Amino acid sequence: MSNKRLGVVVDGAFNSGLTVRLDPGVTTEQLRIGSFVVVEGQRNRYFSLISDIHLKATDPRLLSDPPRATSPFIAHTLSGTSTYATVEVRPMLMLEKPDESDPRALLEMRRGPQPVKTIPIHFAELREATELDFATVFGKEGGVYFAMGTPLTMDIPICLNLAHFVERSDGIFGQSGTGKSFLARLVICGVIKSKVAVNLIFDMHDEYAFDKQTEDGRWVKGLRQIFGPQVLIYSLDEELARRSGRNADVTLKIGLNQIEEADVILLSEELNLRQTAEATIGLLRDHFRGQWLLKLLQMTQEELEEWCKNSGAHAGAASSLQRNLKRLQRQEYIVEEAPFAALDDMIESLDRGKHVILQFGRHNSVLDYLLVSNLVTRRVRQRYEEKTRRYEESKNPKDKPRPLMITIEEAHKFLNPAVARQTTFGIIAREMRKYNVTLLVIDQRPSSIDPEVMSQLGTRITGKLTEERDIDAVLTGVSNRNALRGALESLDTRQEVLIMGHAVPMPISLRTRQYDEAFYQAMGAPEASQGPEIGIRDLFGED
Amino acid sequence: MRIGEIVETTSTGFVAESFTLNRPPPLGSLVAVSLPAQDMEIYAVVAYGQTVGLDPGRRAVRRSTEIVFDEAIYHEHPELKHILRTEFGAVLVGYLAEGQVWQHLPPQPPPLHFSVQTVETGELRRFTDHLLYFRLLLSYNGPVSPLQVLAANVREVYRQRGSDRAWLDVAAREIATLLKNDHEALLTVLYAIDPGEASAIAERRGQL
Ligand SMILES: Nc1ncnc2c1ncn2[C@@H]1O[C@H](COP(=O)(O)OP(=O)(O)OP(=O)(O)O)[C@@H](O)[C@H]1O
Ligand SMILES: [Mg+2]
Repeated sequence: MSNKRLGVVVDGAFNSGLTVRLDPGVTTEQLRIGSFVVVEGQRNRYFSLISDIHLKATDPRLLSDPPRATSPFIAHTLSGTSTYATVEVRPMLMLEKPDESDPRALLEMRRGPQPVKTIPIHFAELREATELDFATVFGKEGGVYFAMGTPLTMDIPICLNLAHFVERSDGIFGQSGTGKSFLARLVICGVIKSKVAVNLIFDMHDEYAFDKQTEDGRWVKGLRQIFGPQVLIYSLDEELARRSGRNADVTLKIGLNQIEEADVILLSEELNLRQTAEATIGLLRDHFRGQWLLKLLQMTQEELEEWCKNSGAHAGAASSLQRNLKRLQRQEYIVEEAPFAALDDMIESLDRGKHVILQFGRHNSVLDYLLVSNLVTRRVRQRYEEKTRRYEESKNPKDKPRPLMITIEEAHKFLNPAVARQTTFGIIAREMRKYNVTLLVIDQRPSSIDPEVMSQLGTRITGKLTEERDIDAVLTGVSNRNALRGALESLDTRQEVLIMGHAVPMPISLRTRQYDEAFYQAMGAPEASQGPEIGIRDLFGED
Repeated sequence: MRIGEIVETTSTGFVAESFTLNRPPPLGSLVAVSLPAQDMEIYAVVAYGQTVGLDPGRRAVRRSTEIVFDEAIYHEHPELKHILRTEFGAVLVGYLAEGQVWQHLPPQPPPLHFSVQTVETGELRRFTDHLLYFRLLLSYNGPVSPLQVLAANVREVYRQRGSDRAWLDVAAREIATLLKNDHEALLTVLYAIDPGEASAIAERRGQL
């Protein structure tokens, strides 16, 4: 285990961090922006991040006239003396060092790392972090501590506190191909294994349930194959339900009676609705209540004109609305009337500790995704609010709703500033924490998500982002933005992420854990020979 | 080995007359003055050398002929040994007292007429294991620039320590630290102590 000294503190301020002069012989190329290092003060140990690296020369003339044809001897002598490097280091946490002579102090040390309240003085030593340092800060794997990956320069597990993770809504960001969906799968596996929450996953591209080929041609398992009957598969697509070996458990139908005004407004763009649509729908609702959509779609031309006359609606607007909404009716999974029982069953399964993946199959247009996810989530939200109220009345631990984490890909579709106030997801992101429902938001373009939602995210995990706006968005409301910006910009394009927020004591760059056979085993996956088929007992039984 | 006698002495250095004409100790070499009464050994670094007539106001005259020149002149004119003298100046760089090496100026200048001696390798190693004395060398003002005296000392010690590369690297870094604000001065010294891989590389390149 290396415990290598890198340099000494020569300057600094509490507000801007420390400047460390690197020792001669330590090259800048040994260090990475954003890497985790330790400053040994006299009384405290400071767990810190490298936020910048500077090259310096003691005599500016050297820079204007660098030695030509230098001998190795001279070059070797100059480096680290006349020419040297400093690094900017940001203390993030500190740990009081025990006074070894006092046994009581050793006990006190168990309090663990604390927020930084001071800085070390001149010549405090900067060194590489050891395995023990990582374990001290990030905890040891096991229980709610879930290994997410390894530091960029070392091969030891770094853990996420999953209990903290599911307490608030979280985000996974990064350009396409950085490994967001894989990362989400890793985290969800951790959540399932540690039982800190149940999951509802809106799986637009059918990536989560069954095996899937990676970009480099390997096949990786889906959640159903790892966790078997603990994971239920709902599908919008009847064909999926029939596939052998990869079949869904339930085919979901959506009734026109279940579609509300807000769902339709959310689809304004997809359905080409005019500005007047909202007013017309308002009038329809006044007349027909829950039946408004069905009634509107059933009306003939004459009936519609008649209704317009009676209700004062604009005839042109009404018939264009009718024309546009016919598109909904044509979706295969939409029926005139569907009971809420199917959705409520699903919610009950969640409450029994099952996890649900809703697959869209062939119905994976933006329209389907927005409509169904929003509608299902609205029902979930209602039921969770009821449950929470019941629990608050009875105070019976049995009534306590299980924490639920809802995963949505392409989250900006629900959470962009124009719609975030109306969609159920927007409401959940802002206030459902109190009802034990949180979101796992996955998106390539964090800048298109409502800043208010972004600021509510507890933990953010982000892969490489190049657009300035996206970087700014991911870092909104985070302290030490400059240090983290550097870390973010220096990430590799695949499988490297920066994690910050509620579930980690301090931000850290990681190489994401490999999603492979060893991982399935660690999650307790059944042997490959066992099929994923499950019986009715599994569907409804207690786990 | 005794090599000279102190003929002028101050707190920072002395001038000695060399026992051998025209052969003062090498520039930069470490010499010592023993003070048995105080159980002390004072160390100095040779900072210049010169050979002059007894009457310093008068310049020497030409002695060579067509057939008598160089060494032969001294055989032809044995009296030269008596009317010429070789002197060298040395900078005080530290002392040994109570078994410990100190690299600062001794409390008293070495006494006049005492002997100047060479320093054995073991003793030289012991003294040059520390490099604080470079600072004294650099603050000396004499006929030879302190940078050149320092460089000569490093070359001499490097040679006497048996081409000790590790020592040379440490010494070079110490010099780089001392001269950090004067890049030109630093390069002057470094070029003068470079053990010469550069020329070896250049040669190899030339052969290709
Ligand atoms: N943890 C991992 N283990 C194994 N392979 C990984 C991992 N993370 C990423 N990969 C590789 O990177 C590829 C892209 O990952 P992924 O599909 O998760 O990207 P994405 O960020 O979700 O992209 P998009 O935005 O296009 O959906 C995968 O196909 C896989 O080959
Ligand atoms: Mg993806």
